[in-house]
Formats: sequence, structure tokens, C-alpha cells
Amino acid sequence: MRIFHKTRFDFIRFRKIAYVFSLVILASGMISLAVKGLNYGIDFRGGSEVLIRFDKNIDVSTVRSVLDAAGVSGSLKQYGLDRSFLFSTVFNGDTNDLKSLVSHALNDRLKNNHHEIVRVEAVGPSIASDLKWSAVKALLASLLAILLYVGFRFELKFATAGVVAIFHDILTVLGLFSLLGGLFDFMPLEMDQSIIAAFLTIAGYSITDTVVVYDRIRERIRGQKPSDYERIFNESMNQTLSRTIITSSTVLLSVLVLFIFAGPAIRGFAFAVFIGILIGTYSSIFVAAPLVYDWLRVSKSPVHLRGSKVS
Amino acid sequence: MKNKRFNLLLIAVVTLVAAWSLWPTWRDYSLSKQLSSFKSAPDSLRYTLSNRDEIENARKKSLKLGLDLRGGMHLVMEVDQVDLFEQKAWNKDAKFTAIMNTVRTKASSSDAKVIDILSGEFKNENIRLSRYFYDIRNSDQEIVKKLEKESEDALNRAKEIIRNRIDQYGVAEPVITTQGSRKLIIELPGVSDENRVRNLLKGTAKLEFRLLRDPEILVRTLDRLNTYLVQNSVAPPSAPVADASPSPSPSVSSPLKAPVPAPARQASSKPIYDVIGVMQNGTAYTTERSKDYVISLLHRSDIQALLPLDTELLLAAKPEIGRNGEKLFPVYLVKKTPELTGGVITEAKATFGSQGVQPEVLMAMNSEGTSKWARITGANIGKRIAIVLDGAVYSAPVVQSKIPSGNSVINGIESLEEAKDLEIVLKAGALPAPVRIIEERSVGPSLGADYIRAGVLSLGWSFLAVSVFMLLYYKKAGIAADIALVLNIVIVLSVLAGFNASLSLPGIAGIVLTIGMAVDANVLIYERIREELDGGKVLKSAIEVGYDRAFSSILDSHVTTLCAAFLLYTYGIGPIQGFALTLMIGTAASLFTSIVVTKEIFSFLLDRNLMTQKSFG
Repeated sequence: MRIFHKTRFDFIRFRKIAYVFSLVILASGMISLAVKGLNYGIDFRGGSEVLIRFDKNIDVSTVRSVLDAAGVSGSLKQYGLDRSFLFSTVFNGDTNDLKSLVSHALNDRLKNNHHEIVRVEAVGPSIASDLKWSAVKALLASLLAILLYVGFRFELKFATAGVVAIFHDILTVLGLFSLLGGLFDFMPLEMDQSIIAAFLTIAGYSITDTVVVYDRIRERIRGQKPSDYERIFNESMNQTLSRTIITSSTVLLSVLVLFIFAGPAIRGFAFAVFIGILIGTYSSIFVAAPLVYDWLRVSKSPVHLRGSKVS
Repeated sequence: MKNKRFNLLLIAVVTLVAAWSLWPTWRDYSLSKQLSSFKSAPDSLRYTLSNRDEIENARKKSLKLGLDLRGGMHLVMEVDQVDLFEQKAWNKDAKFTAIMNTVRTKASSSDAKVIDILSGEFKNENIRLSRYFYDIRNSDQEIVKKLEKESEDALNRAKEIIRNRIDQYGVAEPVITTQGSRKLIIELPGVSDENRVRNLLKGTAKLEFRLLRDPEILVRTLDRLNTYLVQNSVAPPSAPVADASPSPSPSVSSPLKAPVPAPARQASSKPIYDVIGVMQNGTAYTTERSKDYVISLLHRSDIQALLPLDTELLLAAKPEIGRNGEKLFPVYLVKKTPELTGGVITEAKATFGSQGVQPEVLMAMNSEGTSKWARITGANIGKRIAIVLDGAVYSAPVVQSKIPSGNSVINGIESLEEAKDLEIVLKAGALPAPVRIIEERSVGPSLGADYIRAGVLSLGWSFLAVSVFMLLYYKKAGIAADIALVLNIVIVLSVLAGFNASLSLPGIAGIVLTIGMAVDANVLIYERIREELDGGKVLKSAIEVGYDRAFSSILDSHVTTLCAAFLLYTYGIGPIQGFALTLMIGTAASLFTSIVVTKEIFSFLLDRNLMTQKSFG
């Protein structure tokens, strides 16, 4: 089977449209970040959470009013779709207080619908800020490491454009999390540690597709005149289009499976990675390579090739 | 040719090692299946006994499931360094207490190291640390270094003591590690009674024997407090609990509490006697409803200043039942300086008391403690000595006679279970400083079972989807990629089992993601081979060139993914590390499986003329 065989898309000509498209998406994400902000999960916000699961179907407002009436303050929301509710409140060192308060309130007033507290999480404020810091450190360190590695393997222009593409991908997902946060019952879209893991996965993978395109450009650009660059870039991208899309598709398949089957705890992560890889594939064709092309055109200096093999 | 033989050998070795590492997991699985198939208990017992070694061995070496899959508790505890440093200081005065209070507030709201905050505060006040710590001749740096060492020791001691407590309680495979200078990470798989464990870990187990002051002094003190409160009740406090200064122990957070009918908040002529009652015989008590208010009152420094010198008001640990079935907590006025502390306790044993209903804990002391105890009891016959554990009075018996044997007893315990827990904490010794739970995550067994099901489903479907896709898209070559994929998953699981790492839900997510990424290397190679075939190369050389040319992109993409996963593993905490770990192993393994293994499969097929141009779809 062959899809995208011998295509002749003029990617370079459409790059400006792509730039505008990317900027609009990024800008709307950033505006949403500034206006609406992010939904922080318990990891970064701190607090206590209990996950309650009922035997029978029950309405979220019923449970909420029962807890309110019992004087247990906090917020309650649907968690996933299977009769589970997540109750969150301020941090308390002794989660047993919280558990028994919730339990008693629900037992008293909802006698014929048995519930079980299946998960308890409590994160103190100091831990929450620790987690936030290590997340930021991990992100920055991995971007730096990738920049260094790609800079070492390719030319600095290639590496920089690649890292710009990574930023593009991560910021798009971040913006989307802000835009869509709290809109869906079946996926919380909260910023927590797992989303940082998703960002790092996206960062690591975003460069994969980019490297494939770069590799081909590098292979073909040797000894060519700058006036031929446009043709070489276009041909390289078309020649690698098939593998760019197939490699991403296999990962997208896996992530889709995670999204469907792995439950609400993983769903936010799966969503982030899915969108990230989709955007990453787009950006390697429409952002990373065209940026290098524009940069080469403007700087007019010949490409210093590193690490490419002639055979 | 030599290279080829080496590759074949390598594949064989890797496969064998992986199988060997996963064998106990398989045995463990089949043995437990066998066990659960028995209908009667004696049958399964007989089977267990006759195969005991094998069962235990398999279980020990099998792939461990993470806390989230098995159900269990993950705790992060913090040693209270401010308290520790306070203990280390001498000739503490009001100034010192004031500075330490600032340090405490600052430490709770910032990430900075406590020792830095402390030395900074003293510098601000222009006081040398040597005025309160260690030797007067020490420089500030020396003292800071000593205190740092002290807190490191305290953390390690706390770790050992907590390990002792957990071991005695009996949790299978607990993991206790230290993090940084003041954190302990405790993982307890399969713990069902979380509350009991939490109490077991949290208590400092600071045992003290303290002399009780006479009832007349208690009554006089309460009178004085009452007068003070009347004079100072300018406006009736609307919320006495919130109004009081925060207690050092994590106070009961008010938003969680169900609205308790407030204990007498109107300007009363006898505010203290609204919450503390005094009986005929001179004992004082408070009710369960007023307890929190009384505790907050007793923590106020202005109230503490009104107490007689070197005394403290303490509440009983357990209530007594009043006449109308009300729960009453006795209030004791005790000397602040303990006569004897728990350090002298060598043995503790939970039993039932003389009437055989009340559980109690018997304690024995070392020789030093024994002689001291004899002297103390001999000098205080007819007086009461309170047995105080972590600031709560368990009992306050009247000394009947001199006790030369070094024995003592704690009663006033509700259940045998609690007595057993006391036995554990007393035996393990007191923690060098209070510890606080700052993070807790616990997963019940039913959710764990759900996670396992979700994980297995994800693994299965993702493998099916990706492998079928590869078969459809690349035909025969897809088979090679699928075989490599199976080997990849086996390697990931075997590395986890071999290094005693555990598999968590995020870890499974890592494997699922690996499934999608591992075939990428094959996609890159196959696409290149197709291209070479289109360019007119013969099959054999197309394959050679395909592997050769695709290698650089494959390496680059794998290294970047490994970089990201490694950094995630380094900076990540807990569950995220599980994800990073499996992703790392899977990515590294796929370099081997998708390049070396598939190439050998092709050369095997090529040698037997089982491949044509069409084999690559």
C-alpha cells in the first residue's frame, strides 16, 4: 500500500499562509492563557482531592448539594463518565478527616446508593511549588539538550528552526489547554505532572519528523546553488512526506488507544500528546524547514554541512 | 559474515536474558492461578506448603506492580527542621523565641532552606548564632555547618525509625527513601488501614513522665485565666478558632469542619468556665465540642504567660464518658520539665490490664532509667505523675509507692490495636523532630484493578492496531517489524523485572507510546528501501542502502526522545518517573530491535529466496 507516493506539493510557496495560520493559532492560545489562564491540577495547585465512585448513577448536583448541606466545603466535579466524582478542597495534612467527613455526609443522605472513596491525594503547598519548579527545569533542560544535540548534528540554523518548531508545538498545545480547559467532563485538561510529561514527549518527538526532513535536505543540498534551494527544499519535503506522515500515524494510533482505553487519569496526557504530534508533523513541514529556507535566503551564506555522509 | 554471526548471537543472548528475567513473573502468575483454582482451603494450603520455595522465589523476582495498580499509599513526609534547631539551642530567651517564630512562618511559605532562613534572620537582628547554638567561639559558618549535619542525621534517624515502625506493623515491600535535606518518601503497597498507618508514622512518640501540679493550683490558674479573658473581651470574638494564633502542629483546618455550635461566644462573665468545667475533686475537663477552642486557647502565648512558672496545661488523649454519656476530656496542669523521657524505655508490650478489659502498654526501662524512676517515684508518693505522649496525657496515676523495678504502664487506651501501635512506636524510639505529611496519594484496590484492566486493554489494542497497520502497509516486511515490536515489549518488561522496578499506569502509557514509536525506525527504513527499489536497485542492495541511509535520522530521533525522557526521569517525581523509565527503555531497545533484528530477519529470508520486490508493499 502506498499513500503520498510521488507527490509534488509546493510547500515553500505556501509557507507564508502557514506562518499566518501558525501565528493566529499561537496568538489565540496566548490570549486565552493571559485572559483565562490554565486549570492547574492538584500537583501544581496543592490541595486535597478524593475520588468518589457510586454504585448507581447519580447527578453531580445531587452529590454537590449533599456535601454542601453537610458543611463540607470544596468543589465537586464529574470525573470521567463512570459515576465518579472528584471532590477537591484545601490541603490538609490528615486526609482521614476529609475522607470521613465526605463519607459520613454521603452515607447519611445517600443511603441507597453506596459509594466508595477509591483514591485520595493531598499535596502540600511546598510540594506543589517543588513540582512546579522541577517541571520548568525539566522542560528548559530538555529544550536546551535538544538544541545542543541538533546543533551538533546539523547546522545552527537548522537546530534553531527545529527548536522554534518545538516551541510552536508545545505552545499550541498549552494554548489549547487554556482554551478548552474545564469544558469537557470526560477529560479534565488540567495542567499537572502528566502534562509536563506530555510536553517533553512532544518535544522529543517533534524533532523526529523535523530531522527526517532535514536529513534529506542535507543530503541533497550539497554543492547546489542557492537559486536551487527552493526546488531542493520542496523535493526533499515531498520525498519524505510519506514517512513523515506514516511515522506520526503509528504514534497517533497508539495515543488514540490510550485516549480511549486508559481512563480519565491518562486522558489529559493522551489528548496533549495526540494534538502535539499532529501539530508537530505539520510544523516540521510548514514551520521548521521553511524557516531554514527563509533564513538561508536572507543570510545568503552557504550551508556548512556537518555529519552528512556521502556515499 | 562475521558481523552477521555476531548479530545472531546478540539477538539470541538478548532474547534468552529477557526470557530468563521474565520467567519468575510467568511462574508467579501461573502459580497464583493454580492456587486460586483450588476449591477448598486445605487443598490450597497443602499446595502452598509443598511448593513454598518456588512460590516465594517467583514472587520475589517477578515484575512488581506499582502502587497505583496494586493499591497502596505514597507519602512524602517532612522533618520539622525549625523544631529540630530549636531543640539544639540553649539559653533560649524571648528574643530567640521571637526569631524562631519568624523563621517558622517564613519557612512554611518559601522554598529556601530552613538553615538559610535561620541564619539570615539572626544576621538581620545582628545576633551571632553562637549566642544560642553550640560553642560561643564558633563562627556563624561553623554553626551553620554543624546544624546542617545535625538535620542530615535527623533525617536519616527518622528514616530508620519509620522503617522500624513499618516493619513491625508489617507491610510487604515498603520503600523508604530520603529526598533532599528534609523529606522522606514512603511507599506502602497494599495498605488497607490508611488511618492507622498514618498515625503510626506521624507521631513523634515523644514519651514523657511529668509531675502533676496540685488541684488547688489548677483551680487558681483557671481563675486567673478567667479574669484575664473577662478583662480582655473588649469585643466578643466572632470566631475564636480562627482568631487564635496558629498552633505549630497542622491545625484542624476550619473549612473542613462541619459547623460546630460555637462554645459560648457572647461576652460572658466566666469565659473559661464556659469551656472548662471543674469537678468537686478538683479535676478539670472540657467537652468534645469545646475541645478545639480550648486547644487554640492553650496555644496562645498571652495565655501561656499567665500559667505558673514551668507549667503547661495539657489535655487528655482520650475522653472519659460523663454521666449523660458525654465525652469529657480531662485538663491537666503539669510541670513543663519532664521528670523522665522515653529515651530510657527498652521494652514495650501491649496487653490487657488487670481487669482484662482495658488494653494497656507495659514498659521496661534501662538501668539508668530504672534508678531515676525509683528516685522520682520514691520522692513523690501520693502525688500524680502524668504519662504524656506527643503532648497528650494518657494517664495520670497517683504514685502509691516507690517503684524500684523500672516498670511503668500506659493506660487510658481505647483498643488493643491502638495499644499495639503504641508498643511499636515506643520500641522504635522517638523521632528526632516532628514529621509532617506534606503529600499523600493513596489508591484503593478497586481503582487499582480498574487501572490494570485499562492498562492491559490499552496495551492490547495499541499492539493490535499498530501491528495490523504495519502488515497492511508493508506486507511481508511488516511481519519483521511486528516480530521486532514483540521483542521490544518483552525487553521493556524484562528490564523492569530484572532491575526490580515496578510497573505503574503511567509506565504502561510509556509502553503504549513506545509501541507507536518503535515501528518508526522500521517505517523510515522501509520507505528508504522502497525509494531505492523505485530507483532501480536490486532488492539486496536496496535493503543494504536503506538500512544504511535511514540510520542517521533514526539515531537523531531516538537520541532526542531519549534526552527528553531522561530529563523527565531526572526531574520528575513518582508516577512520572515510571512513564519516563519505560519510554527510555523502549526507545533504547527499539534501536536494537528495529534495526538489528529486522535486518537479520531480512537476510535470513533473502538467503532462502523468500523475498521479492513486492515484499515491501
